Amino acid sequence: MSSSSGITGFKQLLRRTVLVAGLGLAMVVEAAQPIKIGYSDWPGWVAWQVAIEKGWFKEAGVDVKFEWFDYAASMTAFSAGKIDAVTVTNGDALVTAAGGAKNVMIIVTDYSNGNDMIVGKPGIKSLKDLKGKKVGLEIGLVEHLLLLNGLEKAGLNEADVSIVNTPTNETPQALASGSLAAIGAWQPNSGEAMKRVPGAKPIYTSADEPGLIYDVLTVNPVSLSTRRADWEKIVKVWGKVVTYINDPKTQPDAVKIMAGRVGLKPAAYLPFLKGTRLLTLEEGKQVMVKADGFKSLYGSTKIVDDFNVKYGIYKKPQDLDKAIDTSLVNK
Amino acid sequence: METTAWFAARQELPPNRRKLLAIGSFVLPILIWCLVSYVPFLWHPMVRISDPGAVDYFQADMLVDKAVFQAELETVQTQGGALPVGELSNPIYLPPPHKVAEAFYTGFTTPPASKDGLWLHQSLWQSIQVIFWGFLLSSLVAVPLGVLAGTYSAVSRLFEPFIEFFRYLPAPAFGALAVAVLGIYEGPKIAIIFIGTFFQQVLIISNTTRKLDYALLEAALTLGTSRLKLLRHVVIPGILPDLYRDQRILLGWAWTYLIVAELIGTSSGITWFITQQARYEHFENVYAAILMIGIIGLGTDLVLAWLGKRLFPWDKPANKQ
Repeated sequence: MSSSSGITGFKQLLRRTVLVAGLGLAMVVEAAQPIKIGYSDWPGWVAWQVAIEKGWFKEAGVDVKFEWFDYAASMTAFSAGKIDAVTVTNGDALVTAAGGAKNVMIIVTDYSNGNDMIVGKPGIKSLKDLKGKKVGLEIGLVEHLLLLNGLEKAGLNEADVSIVNTPTNETPQALASGSLAAIGAWQPNSGEAMKRVPGAKPIYTSADEPGLIYDVLTVNPVSLSTRRADWEKIVKVWGKVVTYINDPKTQPDAVKIMAGRVGLKPAAYLPFLKGTRLLTLEEGKQVMVKADGFKSLYGSTKIVDDFNVKYGIYKKPQDLDKAIDTSLVNK
Repeated sequence: METTAWFAARQELPPNRRKLLAIGSFVLPILIWCLVSYVPFLWHPMVRISDPGAVDYFQADMLVDKAVFQAELETVQTQGGALPVGELSNPIYLPPPHKVAEAFYTGFTTPPASKDGLWLHQSLWQSIQVIFWGFLLSSLVAVPLGVLAGTYSAVSRLFEPFIEFFRYLPAPAFGALAVAVLGIYEGPKIAIIFIGTFFQQVLIISNTTRKLDYALLEAALTLGTSRLKLLRHVVIPGILPDLYRDQRILLGWAWTYLIVAELIGTSSGITWFITQQARYEHFENVYAAILMIGIIGLGTDLVLAWLGKRLFPWDKPANKQ
């Protein structure tokens, strides 16, 4: 008799499980209402936290939900069509598009201003010293591009160094092991590498070539066209965010909010913010003008596009006119 | 006599000695950890700078190799200038026990820094829910299937070859797929726990079912039992204590998939805490969080073991004392 009551209990449990699963499904359908934006741990994107905590989206009359991801996971979620927009570098926006998840960059949030670095071990004083030596970085990612850009300026080319494919978060250990002359990484990994190898110094950083790495908010074209008014409001909020962070009076509060998001003390977070150059809407407008070279999002993105094709990240060049929409910042 | 009492082959020890050894099994690693952390000459390969002196790149609180510190010290001694000062220290990835204990406590008492942030216990609760649903859904299918496969060769031949194949596929490899199908919240995470547990579960349970004494089935069949009754009144009651033990082991198995599962989709649960703290090298928090998982896991298992003894008083192995 105990076994039969056990079975009824089991049936009830099963029924309840099905019910809960059904409810979950219904909730997912309903949750399609707010615009969903994926963001991750980079100062230019953590900046959105200010708007979230200040309630500026509600004030602007737009229903937005920010979802926190690991960077790679945020791109996966966007590619799968589970979020409407994602914060990425301009290069990764192209890579995502080439993989099938078309997207339109509508705001340039910032450019890296020193957070991305090539760090040389003690004794390596400039890129010229790298000739014939080993450099550890993740092939095909932004640091690779940064190195090539620097080598060119130093009168060298890729054949003059040997690149060792190293995951970015393992670069500190790789440099410490002593077998590499330099590594390429972004913060906090680059800073950690310098802490771990006393005397190691940045020999080339993104501050030497502003605009090499732009960070953007990129949107699913369907969402952009069906909810254009909402996206215009979101763009306006970004303007407010940058003003709040840049204003010396409100900066401490902004840094406190941002540091809270990533689990750091405000003082420890400040250096990361300094390595990022946030762009106001006005500055963004100027960057989003068609031109060659790193001063323009188009120029910079073209260079990344060529790089990606050359290194087989994807095969065909991307259509940059479709990948960038300047009309929202210009409104 | 004394030694034979301690080391008698396959003889159980008296309860007080068992308890002593159980405590010892925890005290021993902690003792080693304490020794390595608090007795400088044992390891301490680094120097923590307290005063950089005349060395230009040293800064307070920086960790450098002992050899580097020594070399710089000698340079300054020969060239003149303020001597750098520092004390021996372990690498950053090995915090001392008291730091971890402190982090364990403050983890729970620190309010979330962001408005939409979570308390640590809320994060832990998220993780526990992911495990619960993953394991429950897996068990709902795998337990009946395992019992059937263990009883009827036809079921076993139809399902087990494919399951044998599938269990070698690493669950995390399905991460992107799970996000595409199930969204970004709990769905894909539960799916990874499911994939990680299910296939092993079917095989282990079918194996357990096969170990049931055939004489019992034979006797029941001789008495003319039906197929359904055979399962309900002979097979299931016969394997229940072993099944219960299997489930306890498999629940532990499900926990091991938690970290990879929670890296998929939105950052959540205890994994969010661990990865974020590790990124900024707050290893005492990382150890504290790992410890929490261990305590929850062991705690659940102890409760289940205690419950098992009461549920299956006839089960010998669990009651050998």
